[in-house]
Amino acid sequence: MTSPSLVDAPPAATDAAPLAARAVGLRKTFGSTVAVDGIDLDVPAGSVLGMLGPNGSGKTTLIRILLGLTRADAGTAELLGHPIPEDAARALPHVGALVEGPGFHPFLSGRENLLRVAATEPLLDRSEIAGAVDATLERVGLAPAAGRRFRGYSLGMKQRLGLAGALLLPRRLVVLDEPTNGLDPAGTRDVRRIIAELHAGGSTVIVSSHLLAEVEATCTHVAVLQSGSLVAAGELAALLESGTGGLDVATDDIDLALDTLRAAGVTAYRGPGDEPGVVVAEHGPPTAETIALLVRAGVGVHEARRRRARLEELFARLTEETP
Amino acid sequence: MTAPVVDPVLDPPRSAPLGRLLGAELRWVLRRPRTLVMLALFAAVPVLISIGVALADGSGRGPGLVSAIAGNGLVLPVAALSLALVLLLPLAVSMAAADAIAGESAHGTLRGLLLSPVGRLRLVGMKAFGVMVVATLATLVIAVVGVLAGMIVVGGAEGQLVTLSGTAVGLGDALLRVGLVAIWVIGQLAAIGAVALAISAVTDHPLVVLASVLGGLIVFGVLAAIPSLEWLQPWLLSSGWTAGADALRDPLPLGGMIESSLRALCYVAVGAGLTTYRMLRRDA
Repeated sequence: MTSPSLVDAPPAATDAAPLAARAVGLRKTFGSTVAVDGIDLDVPAGSVLGMLGPNGSGKTTLIRILLGLTRADAGTAELLGHPIPEDAARALPHVGALVEGPGFHPFLSGRENLLRVAATEPLLDRSEIAGAVDATLERVGLAPAAGRRFRGYSLGMKQRLGLAGALLLPRRLVVLDEPTNGLDPAGTRDVRRIIAELHAGGSTVIVSSHLLAEVEATCTHVAVLQSGSLVAAGELAALLESGTGGLDVATDDIDLALDTLRAAGVTAYRGPGDEPGVVVAEHGPPTAETIALLVRAGVGVHEARRRRARLEELFARLTEETP
Repeated sequence: MTAPVVDPVLDPPRSAPLGRLLGAELRWVLRRPRTLVMLALFAAVPVLISIGVALADGSGRGPGLVSAIAGNGLVLPVAALSLALVLLLPLAVSMAAADAIAGESAHGTLRGLLLSPVGRLRLVGMKAFGVMVVATLATLVIAVVGVLAGMIVVGGAEGQLVTLSGTAVGLGDALLRVGLVAIWVIGQLAAIGAVALAISAVTDHPLVVLASVLGGLIVFGVLAAIPSLEWLQPWLLSSGWTAGADALRDPLPLGGMIESSLRALCYVAVGAGLTTYRMLRRDA
């Protein structure tokens, strides 16, 4: 797939792959501010979707609409195949979410707060509550502080408790809005581990973040928002490959290679790196053809590698080009 | 481990059992330090009145309910409830209602409840339950401590209640009358609670709820004091609040309490309707 579904991907036939979440033409305004402007997004079941965007680009509003916390002015939202907000009671029991930071009562301990959350979970049996709470506190590394009041928690501990609320029971979909906020490096690693575990268990994960390295490390899919619009969405690998394109060719016969390529009408230039080589610009002939061309001309090709953008470059390009 | 397949057909709408939700709400209300402090302070109200009456005993008998307590301990719970109903009990109820929705919203816990999910209608029921628990407990604390303080500190005419009409009724009858006043007070507080919940459903700031309810009661008091606005009286909740003292008359006139209870019922209906309307639409 060389051209991933980019801007305004049409909500095409989706019977083939089940969707964990879907937005069609979502629009939401607050007064004169357009928070979300005509977003179409499909989140395939089993994927880990990284939602990226500068502050105020509409990530949280989109998540809140998908979860039924806010009503969209136009468009439809679906969660696990159920229309939202109409059928939220069917979808939400299977969804765990940490939205807009952890919300808990300061006068209760972490464990008591989590017990209160657990009591409202439809899929937890009364007999399972205590076990689920303790296991989840263990999982997010909060067991030693479980008896302390939430009031005295550090930012990172509060965030961990918020995660615990989303992970109380096995979920089909977990939505994490800025999960690494306030976490130390160990906490960030824990979040990465938890996302990997969820993914391995078959759950879908939607994670919004501005830590691009985290998204690059954990996500299979990416959606990039800018000023309330979706500027790119698709599989991470495909997006990155389409990013800058081009081909790095390592060779000692640089001049011969450049002459050959330019004679064939291909844009190429001397490689900037330490290793001698040439760079074949984007939109050139397919990789195999380029290499064949060079080899036939007698250029000794040591290595050829498609250039992959870092997510950071892609993100910068996507969010800075758009006005 | 296989992937949890998205199969909308197999997902029934689900919610945690109502009993469990109410239990969680009850625990939350009773674990809140301010609820406990408030109940303790309310227990002090009849005790302080009883001490005041005991100290002033014999000297300076004025008119009014408080002076009727002297030597007649079973008047104390009724007098304490009537006094507390003016501002203290509404304060307690509006505090509970403020925490119930606006407070949860301010802490970010309201969206947690909606995400669980607790249905929005159930949420209104759960919150109304919590507010009524506080109203009932606060009323009962004053009534029970009032009876005890009245009998121990003030004492009475051989465990009897001398009514304002001059007749004496036995202990059992007197306790029934105190119970009747308590139930009537709880009904009035339900009206306050319903309106306070409606305000709480509109705002994220608990203080707005307190200010609106107490401010509203003060305005009611001012309006009731203006003779040319007498036609407004039937609409004002607080204008029926003198009916509590009716329990001390013999024979017992029920008209005032029934009328004010019906008025309270109208406030409950309006408040509950507005709360539900707002909560079905509220962003969290």
